[in-house]
Amino acid sequence: MDILKVEHLSKTYGDGEARVEALKDVSFQLEKGEFVAVAGESGSGKSTLLNCIGGLDTPDRGKVWLDGEDIFSMKEKKRTIFRRRNIGFIFQSFRLVTELNVEQNIVFPMLLDYQKPDRARVEEILEVLGLADRRKHLPGQLSGGQQQRVAIGRALAMRPQIILADEPTGNLDSGNSRDVMDLLMKASRYYQQTILMITHNTALTSSVDRVLRVRDGVLTDLGGVQP
Amino acid sequence: MRHYLDLIPISEKVHKRQTRMTRLCIVFAVFLVAVIFGMADMEIQSQIWQSVQSDGGWHAGFKDLTQEQAAIIRARPEVVRSSRYAVTNYRVDMGYTITGKETAICGFDETMTELFPAAEVAEGRFAYSEDEAVATRSIQKQTGADIGDTVTLVTPEGKINFVISGFTGDHSMLTTADAFGIFLNTDTYEEYFTGATEAEDFMLYVEFSPFCDIQGTITDICKQLDIDRDTVGQNTKLLGLMFQSDDPYMTSFFHIAAVLAVLVAVAGMLMISSSLNSNVAQRTEFFGMLRCLGAEPGQVARFVRREALRWCLTAIPTGLAASILVVWGLSATLRYLSPGYFAGMPVFGISLPGIGAGTILGLATVLLAVRSPAKKASKVSPLAAVSGNAGTVPEAKKAADTRFFHVDTALGIHHAWGSRKNFFLMAGSFAFSIILFLSFSPAIDFMNHAIRPLKPSTADLSVISEDNTCSLPRDLAEELSRNPAVRRVYGRSFAFHLPAKGSSGVTAVDLVSYERNQFAWAKVVDGSAEEAQKGEGVLVGYYEASDKDSLKAGDVVQIEVEGETRQVAVSGVLSDIPFNPTEGAQILICSEALFEQLTGQEDYTVIDMQLESGATDADVEQIREAAGEGVTFSDQRLANSEAKGAYYSFALCLYGFLVIIALISALSIINSISMSVSARMKQYGAMRAIGMSIGQVIRMVAAEAVTYVFWGILFGCAAGLALNRMLYAMLVAERWGTEWYIPVAALLVILLSVTGSVLWAVKDPAKRIRNMSVVETIGAE
Repeated sequence: MDILKVEHLSKTYGDGEARVEALKDVSFQLEKGEFVAVAGESGSGKSTLLNCIGGLDTPDRGKVWLDGEDIFSMKEKKRTIFRRRNIGFIFQSFRLVTELNVEQNIVFPMLLDYQKPDRARVEEILEVLGLADRRKHLPGQLSGGQQQRVAIGRALAMRPQIILADEPTGNLDSGNSRDVMDLLMKASRYYQQTILMITHNTALTSSVDRVLRVRDGVLTDLGGVQP
Repeated sequence: MRHYLDLIPISEKVHKRQTRMTRLCIVFAVFLVAVIFGMADMEIQSQIWQSVQSDGGWHAGFKDLTQEQAAIIRARPEVVRSSRYAVTNYRVDMGYTITGKETAICGFDETMTELFPAAEVAEGRFAYSEDEAVATRSIQKQTGADIGDTVTLVTPEGKINFVISGFTGDHSMLTTADAFGIFLNTDTYEEYFTGATEAEDFMLYVEFSPFCDIQGTITDICKQLDIDRDTVGQNTKLLGLMFQSDDPYMTSFFHIAAVLAVLVAVAGMLMISSSLNSNVAQRTEFFGMLRCLGAEPGQVARFVRREALRWCLTAIPTGLAASILVVWGLSATLRYLSPGYFAGMPVFGISLPGIGAGTILGLATVLLAVRSPAKKASKVSPLAAVSGNAGTVPEAKKAADTRFFHVDTALGIHHAWGSRKNFFLMAGSFAFSIILFLSFSPAIDFMNHAIRPLKPSTADLSVISEDNTCSLPRDLAEELSRNPAVRRVYGRSFAFHLPAKGSSGVTAVDLVSYERNQFAWAKVVDGSAEEAQKGEGVLVGYYEASDKDSLKAGDVVQIEVEGETRQVAVSGVLSDIPFNPTEGAQILICSEALFEQLTGQEDYTVIDMQLESGATDADVEQIREAAGEGVTFSDQRLANSEAKGAYYSFALCLYGFLVIIALISALSIINSISMSVSARMKQYGAMRAIGMSIGQVIRMVAAEAVTYVFWGILFGCAAGLALNRMLYAMLVAERWGTEWYIPVAALLVILLSVTGSVLWAVKDPAKRIRNMSVVETIGAE
């Protein structure tokens, strides 16, 4: 069953000589529970692709269907609510709310949705991520690896249809990078979580289900093999 | 580009929107200072004019001089003009009359008409010859006399005839007392009146050059001629307005003005500084980039300073232009509100002190204000160019409390409390404005109580019984009320110094009747006015009632009228009674019916009139004729207008200062919120990415602003109301007995202006958040 369907996505920046075609007629699908990596050089268009899928950026042409919903047919407010309920984000620089502790950061999307946090779910995430004993810590009191684990927890909290991870290990050392990849893998398998991860580190693509490569805005499906 | 500072105009073009608020703050600071100094200048010019009109343009008055001494003074190079002057029947009670009306007689040299514009001959010429006199306009109006006619002055020594050589304007003191005035030359005066006047001798009035040290010159003259300096009269108000007075009241007035100017300059500096800080915070990456490219901290600081000075090039002229327009508008308003009093206020006056002060203080304020942001900008780490974080967001020490509020609101509150120093500065600045606002409001109550022409009972014209008896028939009041120029007529009957006995130490009372209007205007502070109005009791004044020997509500008084003793009960206490008792007596207010019952008199002693706004001098003359002969006709319009002018000046100063306080605190919260939003923009971007709606982000910003304001209001109202109560007790309650009340109107004004500034403070950041590109904000890794 396709959870994400991208059809003929194109995006251009600038005019005249400064014109850059970031995405050129990109189409692909993701099945539920798939862990897919988007690999490519810097400036290849992979972040633009992720931003368009997440509804943060608007494509010039094409459609993005998430769980059967065309996200660009929604108005801004509805798209924001749809995003917080259906898309989890993991950023390279963690982007945690510095004034909220670990537990509050994890339940933050639920709080934004004015939902009462599901205690059992939060406990489970804290256990899985190994953060149970740091639940009251503020982000400033955690290491980079721990902060990224909190970000993963936050992305998982709403049981989203998809997690979009933008270079999740970009700011981490090799040990922490391995841990984060293991956790993402575990989430994918354990929660049947669909994950689309952007990376320029080809070493990280070895354990994913499928690899997509973006080069000069053109996407190529490399299947379940290393490039 | 030949110099790195040439980047400033280029950067200015790019950051035009971001620098708008700072430029606006400079414009505003210059505007405030220029308006304050400009209005003060206009006010001083107007006051000088007014002072010269009412008290004359003389600076010092010497008395008991010999001819030689006077000649020595007149020969001094500092003396511009001088005139001898003497007056007889100054208090218009010595029995010098023309057609039965008390007349003041002044003798002076012709130069006095230049020193004293009120003495200027409006028609005809000065009284040069022995039998000539200049008469006040009221003589012409009331006796029909014209130039060349002879008037007879009746003096206690006999009659003197004068030929009228000219007419001069009326003086408020004379019109209020319903008296005439004639002016003679000094020789004529000396011939008839020296020895009769109270002062006995001539005064020498002197006008000095405004460019000399007047006080030093007076001291010098006193030393040279062996005159006691204390006997030298000074035109204190005029000298004060020329900054030439050593009067302690005037000196303290200037000290207060200087302190206010410094306060406004400091507030302006804080405002510009916080705006520049906000501006620098928004451009952290730019300064970081300059540092990355090799700019030294000093060069960055110079960049910020030069940039601020460049803004002055347009902001100072704009502020000055706006101030000139506002000064014109305010001057026009004052002239409209009180045309008589502010007649000397320039219509399109350009105030050089205002422009000078605006420019100098504007530049100095900017240079001082830019120090802190320039230092901050120079400390931006080159790393900030890539991280975009200048360390302006303080590291959280405690997690936000999400138990009681939604997470957006909770985060906003937490942001406000994040930096304790900033929180206390913000809430404190709001509290400070509220405290100042509430502390100033009793001054308005004081002003309303103290300045009688503004009271509803103030009369424009009064017809007064010449012998203070109940001799004005009630029909006269009715007849006067039929005149279309008269809006309201109300009379009072007086019975003076009736022997009385009571529970307190009262020995005599002045019994006064009130009619419907006066009962309606009377403010009762104890008991009620109803019984008195029904004729079942009397009222006493608070100021007298506060004396332990005086009558109070509930007391019983026995009054003796024509041998009969009558008993009345005090049913209430009035905040104020607008006239003074005779010596040793206490005023009792009663109804007309009770007055008649007690005294057997049914006519009035005084009939007061309020005129329609368009009433003319011709209408007043008609009323005067209707009032008839044998009465004192008091025209208080001029005196009321003077007092109203003083009220408007005071009110303008008071309210103007309050507006400035409110505006400065509004701008400071706008800058602070804007700075906080700039510093957290990346955080907001991330929050937007993970699903925070624009509305939620704006709510978070609003919660931060509301937190400052809430605590500011709480502290401000608590301390402000306590101060308000204390000052009210000192200024108003002690004197007029009116009870303290919660100043609802002032509180509403504060709440409205505070709400307005919060909305204004959130408006611009909300726009920035709405226009924020999430991708660009979070993309700058």
